[in-house]
Amino acid sequence: MLVSLNWIRSLISCDAETDEISRKLTDRGLTVDAVTRHGEDTVLELDIPANRPDCLGHVGVAREIAAGFGLPAPTPETASPSADGNKMVEIDDLAGCPRFTASVVRGIKVTPSPRWVVDRLEACGLRSVNNVVDASNLVMLETGNPIHFYDLARVQGARLRVRRAEEGERLTTLDDIERELSADMLVIADGGRAVGLAGVMGGAETEIREDTVDVLVEAAYFDPQTVRRTARKLGMHTDASHRFERGADRNGVLAAQHLARRLLTDLAGGKPELELEDLHPEPPAAVQRTLRGSRVATLLGYRPEAAEIKKALEAVGLSPEEAEEGVWSTTIPSWRVDLLREADLVEEVARDLGYDRIPAMRGEPERLPIGSRQRAADQAEERARDLLAHLGFHEAVSYAMIGPGEDQAFVAAETPAPIPLSNPLAEPLSALRRSVLPGLLKALDRNIRRGTRDVRLFEIGHVFHDRSTGLPLEPARLAIVWSGASAPVHWSAPVPDVGLSDMAGVVEAVISGVTRNPAPPRDSQVGIDAFHPAISASWTADDAPVAWAGELHPAVRDRLDLPSGIFIAEIEIGKLAAGRPLPAQYRPIPRFPSPARDLSLVLDAGVRFADIRAAVESVPSPAPSAVDLIDRYAGAPLEEGQVSLTVRLSLHPTERTLTDEETEGYRAKVVQRLEQVGGIRLRD
Amino acid sequence: MLDALRTIEEEFRAAIDEAGADPERVEAVRVRFLGRKSPLTALMKQLGKLSAEERPAAGQAINQLKKSIQQSIEEAVEKAAAGALEQELQDSSVDVTLPPRSPWRGSQHPVHATRRELERIFRDLGYTIETGPEVEDDFHNFQALNLPPEHPARDAQDTFYLEGDRLLRTHTSPVQIRTMESRRPPIRMVCPGRVYRRDHDATHLPMFHQLEALVVDKGISMAHLKGTMDRVWKTFYGEQVKTRLRPAYFPFVEPGAEYDISCQVCGGEGCRVCKQTGWIELGGAGMVHPAVFEAVGIDPDVYSGWAFGLGIDRIAMMRHGIDDLRLLVENDVRFLSQFPT
Repeated sequence: MLVSLNWIRSLISCDAETDEISRKLTDRGLTVDAVTRHGEDTVLELDIPANRPDCLGHVGVAREIAAGFGLPAPTPETASPSADGNKMVEIDDLAGCPRFTASVVRGIKVTPSPRWVVDRLEACGLRSVNNVVDASNLVMLETGNPIHFYDLARVQGARLRVRRAEEGERLTTLDDIERELSADMLVIADGGRAVGLAGVMGGAETEIREDTVDVLVEAAYFDPQTVRRTARKLGMHTDASHRFERGADRNGVLAAQHLARRLLTDLAGGKPELELEDLHPEPPAAVQRTLRGSRVATLLGYRPEAAEIKKALEAVGLSPEEAEEGVWSTTIPSWRVDLLREADLVEEVARDLGYDRIPAMRGEPERLPIGSRQRAADQAEERARDLLAHLGFHEAVSYAMIGPGEDQAFVAAETPAPIPLSNPLAEPLSALRRSVLPGLLKALDRNIRRGTRDVRLFEIGHVFHDRSTGLPLEPARLAIVWSGASAPVHWSAPVPDVGLSDMAGVVEAVISGVTRNPAPPRDSQVGIDAFHPAISASWTADDAPVAWAGELHPAVRDRLDLPSGIFIAEIEIGKLAAGRPLPAQYRPIPRFPSPARDLSLVLDAGVRFADIRAAVESVPSPAPSAVDLIDRYAGAPLEEGQVSLTVRLSLHPTERTLTDEETEGYRAKVVQRLEQVGGIRLRD
Repeated sequence: MLDALRTIEEEFRAAIDEAGADPERVEAVRVRFLGRKSPLTALMKQLGKLSAEERPAAGQAINQLKKSIQQSIEEAVEKAAAGALEQELQDSSVDVTLPPRSPWRGSQHPVHATRRELERIFRDLGYTIETGPEVEDDFHNFQALNLPPEHPARDAQDTFYLEGDRLLRTHTSPVQIRTMESRRPPIRMVCPGRVYRRDHDATHLPMFHQLEALVVDKGISMAHLKGTMDRVWKTFYGEQVKTRLRPAYFPFVEPGAEYDISCQVCGGEGCRVCKQTGWIELGGAGMVHPAVFEAVGIDPDVYSGWAFGLGIDRIAMMRHGIDDLRLLVENDVRFLSQFPT
């Protein structure tokens, strides 16, 4: 809110410098965002918190300044309602409108406003319209209570009725927009139709015009939730609704009436009628609250003097009485709608004494636990992050929102439908992702378009799987995308581009790094459309897939307009992290020589390395054995589809040195076994 | 005899000097002065001709010279060997200015690196790290935090809604609620995570990261908030950092505060970054509102607690001098690689 210091100085006698006032307000929680000059005036731009509607008027701000400098608070004059007078108003809906005051000012003349009025309004960011409209804005900006003027001649029957709108009822508001109303909205109606949206905006039919002579002045208190619901439903936000939905001063309507009548007299030559109708059938009892000094000490960590507490409360217009020692009872003024509980009063004390008074205490009570172990899931993610960063991958962060269907090719067929956002910012951010890969591929695409050929990105984040009821499942996923070189490029030798074997190696490094166990067996079935059906692999643990990797399917690649040779992987890091890995267990280092024998094998089409491994593992060995692939060759003189693999069998005895006969005997049995598999023969 | 020895020595010195570090020439000198036909051997043979009195002294002199020559030759041989190795090494030199084979260096996203650093500081102080769902219900995201339906403070948190009574959490505070629902005090926790607001411009992203801290026990006060946060930021930024609380309104705390630290760019003097105030606003803080305790079934007359929250993205930007928020979600490798691990 824009606050004119000239206006403030007309309400309280404060001769402090602008800087001092600024600092004081900020220290009291009304942050001054900017200070500007406006002619002879100084304007403060105040950030008024949502719980302080009383400060949405100059009187309220003046109260805070007065409290800050220990000055007398402003004392707005109020009008007195007549005991019984003209009955102009009826309230059908007391919940929506607990209080309504109305009076009439006759014989006004609509003219341009005098200079001082124009200046004040402009200082506060409003444009002058004419003396009458300006008067209503001055009242709102001074008291914080929005009011409304009707051209009495255009109010049918010269009567107002506060009621709920009829479903589908139409009303053209002051901004000349015809609006369709619904039954939960509150309107002010005259003898025939709705003439205003209660607390939001008046109607065009009864607005003040050049020829207006008699004015009906409305100063009412509307229920905050009703106003907010109405305004939001119609997509409106006005100076009036902003104040009413935060809570206007229910008793302040009389001061607003007084100021409105005075301004119409002074600015427009009007003559107020004596009658002031005040419909307030159920005035609430004065709000009483108690503050214990002990509570102040508990919440603030220090105990102010009793006199300080009393003074702090009095400074903001409370009337503390010490009911018993260290306990104060006070009435809450009608404009402080935020003071509901004892804690609110504690804040008043803290504000007045300054937050700098609060000491800084290091040790918390000893009951609190000391030290905490990192959760298994966090530890797993952290290990994966460190590992991938050390392997040369860059961590990305992408939105959890993606375009609808963008992830369809990246999820298994049985994955539930994506969850749409009801109010997305834009189509490309309108559904929750079920895979991290689409976002990461977008990042890869951006990098390639910007000229980076070698891109290695990873991201750890949640995906969202809807359930029939309640909140969705949010499994944690780790996704990797990789294009370009498979290893650091160096002048000494050419480096091939990334292949399945590179990506599979990284995936297995992550799995074993996170679980401290070897990765589970690799399978060729991925079953997700975005993966190349032949150049892909998956890993399964406990009958559920935990990772899948492969080349981006050419069809998907073309649809995304990406170059070839992109490898992608996604890992169920949440599942891998389920258990905290045990510390690695020591096994004795073999103290005896490990003999090895190389076998060159020719494999027919369809026979895989895994078949060799399985065959080798089925042969009883004289010591723990291992089989490693050390060379692979395809081409002449082999037939089409055949490959030659050289594997190294090694034995790692733990008890004694093996004899040559034992090693040779083992080799012979392995060869025999391999030849039984079919499609495998020893190369000559 | 002595004259002859002196002559031999002079000849030897001249020869060995001339031979320098050349191994072949040193060998030639060795053969000339220590070989079977050397002048010393000849002199030795003449010893018999001397009288019994002269013989021992002469023999001694000859031996002495022989030892001296042997020693000089050994030295010369060593020198020659060292010279030869040196020459060989020099001949095999490589161009050390050629680019080496450097392993790849990956990176951690600056937001995550900052989050980890903050988590570590809090964990060292005894805080547990808690997480919760990013899709939340109205109760945990708003109502339990003293933000009933139609509360005007909901305006400040433009919300993405989903089907059913569901939304994307607008802050990490629902994790505080869930933790208090599932566990009795004492509680000392932080909850980092992604949050969402329906806002997208130069200074707002629709998804960003928060970290909140919560302490609940008997006798917890704002003084504990002050002391702990002071410790946290001194650990994070260094002992020079100053901190302060200012009154502010957040529906879930009372008394409520904004938390400021002295500007780390100008040291509190006032600069463009801190808008000449010398202070940088870090986040909101305060004493847990009694209505929040009531929503989770904790008696606010028995327990009290403080809470604190901040935006990690902003801290990361200040920390690394990043001036454009969008860089954080563009994932440009040329940006990310500036934060190697």
